[in-house]
Amino acid sequence: TPLRAGDGPKPRPGARAADVAGTGDYLWRVNDHGRTIRELRRWSATDAEAYEEYGQLMVEMARFIKPILGITPPDLTSLDPRPLLPLGGLLRSFQQLPERQQAVFVQLMTMSAADFLDQWFETDPLKATMSASGIIGTYLGVRSPGTAYVLLHHYMGEIDGAFRAWGIPKGGTGGISNAIGSAARALGAEIRTEAPVERVIVKNGKAVGVALAGSGEEIHADVVLSSVDARRTFLGLVEPGTLEPEFEQEIRRFKFRGSSGKVNMAVDRLPDFSCLPGAGEHLRGAISFSPAVDDMEQAYDDAKYGRFSAKPYIDMIIPTLVDPTMAPPGKHVISCFVQYAPYKLAPELGTWDDQREAFGDAVVNRISEFAPGFRESILFRNVQTPLDIERTTGLTEGNIFQGELTLEQLFFNRPAPGYARFRTPIQDLWMCGSSTHPGGGIMGANGRIAALEVLRSRGRRVA
Amino acid sequence: MATYDAIVVGGGHNGLVTAAYLARAGRRTLVLERREHVGGAAETADLGGVRIPRLADTVGRIRPSVVKDLELRAHGLRLVAPGIRVFAPQSDGRAISLWADDARTVEGLRAWSSRDADAWLDFDRLVRSLGRFLAELAAQTPPDIKAPGVGDAFTGLKLGRTFRGLGKHDSHTILRVLPMAVADFVAEAFETDALQAAIAWRGVRHSLLGPWSAGSTAILLGDSAGNDGGAAGQTVFAIGGPGALSEALASAAREAGAEIRCGAEVAAITSRDNRVTGVALASGEEIGATVVVSGLDPRRTLVGLVDPVTVGPTMRWRAGNYRTPGVVAKVNLVVDRLPRFTAAGGDDQLVRGRILAAPGIDAIERAFDAAKYGRTSDTPVLEATIPSLVDPSLVAGAPDGTHVVSISAQYAPATLRGGAWDEDGRADGFADRVVGVLDDLAPGLTQSITAREVITPLDLERDYGLTGGHPLHGEQSLDQFFLWRPFLGSARYRLPVDGLYLCGSGAHPGGGITGQPGQNAAREILSDLKRRR
Repeated sequence: TPLRAGDGPKPRPGARAADVAGTGDYLWRVNDHGRTIRELRRWSATDAEAYEEYGQLMVEMARFIKPILGITPPDLTSLDPRPLLPLGGLLRSFQQLPERQQAVFVQLMTMSAADFLDQWFETDPLKATMSASGIIGTYLGVRSPGTAYVLLHHYMGEIDGAFRAWGIPKGGTGGISNAIGSAARALGAEIRTEAPVERVIVKNGKAVGVALAGSGEEIHADVVLSSVDARRTFLGLVEPGTLEPEFEQEIRRFKFRGSSGKVNMAVDRLPDFSCLPGAGEHLRGAISFSPAVDDMEQAYDDAKYGRFSAKPYIDMIIPTLVDPTMAPPGKHVISCFVQYAPYKLAPELGTWDDQREAFGDAVVNRISEFAPGFRESILFRNVQTPLDIERTTGLTEGNIFQGELTLEQLFFNRPAPGYARFRTPIQDLWMCGSSTHPGGGIMGANGRIAALEVLRSRGRRVA
Repeated sequence: MATYDAIVVGGGHNGLVTAAYLARAGRRTLVLERREHVGGAAETADLGGVRIPRLADTVGRIRPSVVKDLELRAHGLRLVAPGIRVFAPQSDGRAISLWADDARTVEGLRAWSSRDADAWLDFDRLVRSLGRFLAELAAQTPPDIKAPGVGDAFTGLKLGRTFRGLGKHDSHTILRVLPMAVADFVAEAFETDALQAAIAWRGVRHSLLGPWSAGSTAILLGDSAGNDGGAAGQTVFAIGGPGALSEALASAAREAGAEIRCGAEVAAITSRDNRVTGVALASGEEIGATVVVSGLDPRRTLVGLVDPVTVGPTMRWRAGNYRTPGVVAKVNLVVDRLPRFTAAGGDDQLVRGRILAAPGIDAIERAFDAAKYGRTSDTPVLEATIPSLVDPSLVAGAPDGTHVVSISAQYAPATLRGGAWDEDGRADGFADRVVGVLDDLAPGLTQSITAREVITPLDLERDYGLTGGHPLHGEQSLDQFFLWRPFLGSARYRLPVDGLYLCGSGAHPGGGITGQPGQNAAREILSDLKRRR
């Protein structure tokens, strides 16, 4: 569901701008379609042509797929036919698609991002950059089956009704949280911070409230909704022995495998890229270090065997160019999303506490390859490894999506077969976080559907 | 004017199965085979004075219903299954041994891990249960989703019932595991890396996938569908080599009235007004038919043989994107003494089945990594058999102690970066590496070789007409599966030209010597021919 809060993010001109290619050249895509096409033509005339067709197809696909994100997954093994009804509706709308679009939909659900894009494009940096969106937050490579699907997510962003828009919120993503929080408060919800929940109180198989850590305070409620991940909910907050061992085993099977890190830096000048020197519009969007599909895949190969990527994929943004109040004049903040940084390191590397700075160095080195002098511009560096993400946010294994977005962990399997309908084996305990359908990303869909299910279950009319 | 009811292009095992079923139903059927003999990849050939299974070596996936319907035993087919299924020797002299007799497997696994030994029976049961469901799926024509008819509803109900028949636990499991990476699937049951690899191997065999690739579990389960393989997988030989199966099929087809012409290369499938009219041979001869059935892969069929205007640009684009990245090379050896595997300790019983050199999950994955970048594996993963142990007729007349060793080696990508397979001794260089891997496990093998042949993916493409050198006609991956094998909208054996059908491994349920696509295609063709009357 789109976020439409008044003080939410706004689309900015030039968003999604620069994609730095490693050939001494660059490739950029801007919100101005005509300009993007002209830029692509510089690389390949056929790709420029295919890009139009591709974009149109993806928008149509996104329109088709969006309703799926909004339904509660049925349990196919259940004898109750009612939850299957939305599936019938989906099937009918699928039947109405032209055959080519049906086929493309199937490909999106099953192929690797690289294979999928190979059908359209020949320009390596273009394919590498586009395929990057297929691997964000996953422990998969651009050639791994199942990564094409996430390409579509990039065509599903919607800001204030503008389809296909992605935004950088003012004040950082915290701005979104604050907007939602204030909306909830205005409607009468109470929000208490610094109130860590220690356990869910279960009586006679029913959740009746929570107990806070430290104070031991007990708060009672008709229903408890957990937005923390499945493992923490069922293996951390619920008293051991409450759940069937078989269910516990399903939860233990649910894979997290965090694979990404973040490196935030304060710099005393803007990075100066050798392929496109000087300051300019290209620095205002997402700067993608993804020069070739092979580079992306090799970064993944490192991670498969428990090493962080020697030449990682980096998605860099410079928020101070949008919101200068975040730093003193002339200084800038640089935020890098980095992949891969596998949660579980190979034994010979020790722990992330041993490798944190080495990982940060790899990132800085990679950036400096493209922007000489970058290393020297750094005033301060903060490296977030998957272990740090787990420690500070409570996300198991540092997985930013509360569980891997692999095919076997989507839809009616998320987080466990038979429990994809936001309900849990404990009555009145519900799930509403990214561990549920439709998975992670800042979309708010999980929370919305969960709320609707809770209301429906209590005979309330739903909006 | 149609001369034949049906022309089958290509005399591989599926083409022969289709021809036999059509002929048995009284249809005038002609099989046209480009090569000098039928069989395609199921062939027994000469090497160094003995007979070898040139490509495929085991035939245990052939559907029992095909054997029964076509009375293949009466046509000379004799199958033999050794007690050992898999022998996976390790470099430290230990080995994983999987037997037809579960008790023996469990006993052997106890030396590795008592937890794994205890888990074996449950895992075997699970694989068989899920395999049964997939076998049911494989035997069905995928439903028509555009305009579902009564038959499709019936198929749907039947599949629904079979699905529910799995029980709550297994039906949940199949939905969860089908798209899964096989490395995860085996790790849920077992802790021993060597055992995990010995099973997971079947999830990546013939595919440009590694054990960590999504969808490889579906391939493993498909391999155990419709046969007695279970968790260990089938190991069944045809006496006389896989060519004997092809001979039996050809004999069954001929007896039913089908004509088979070898050395007859089809250059084009002719059509008028979007309806096939027959075929044109490379010799210039034209033969008319009501329907044309292609046993070739879909890409070769639609891009290579049918008029582009008839196929249309969109379908041509889709067919051209059918993924066929071959990764298997074959190395066949004639040896003057039986290879002595260190881990077998002189027990010849152990090497009568499939011999695996796939020492661990990461070892397979690393071998796969090379293929992604157009390189051959430094340490290829091997599956070898010594069929002459089970079937001495292969080496009849040769000096005592002569054996044949048939080796499938992965990963050998069809498209190499930096040069083709037939340049700079690449094929022999790879074969040396293959022999080296086996020699490490069976010292002295190299010195015992009296004849050797290497068949690269390039040879598979050139000699056997397999696009991209893919032995399964196309990747058996999630994107080319069931309703969308070969393409969504063409999964019901009918290609988008009236009267043109697909009966080979490129169609549902895919490759391997099962005869299932051929059997399913024949059923659909006969139902259409009946309707035409």
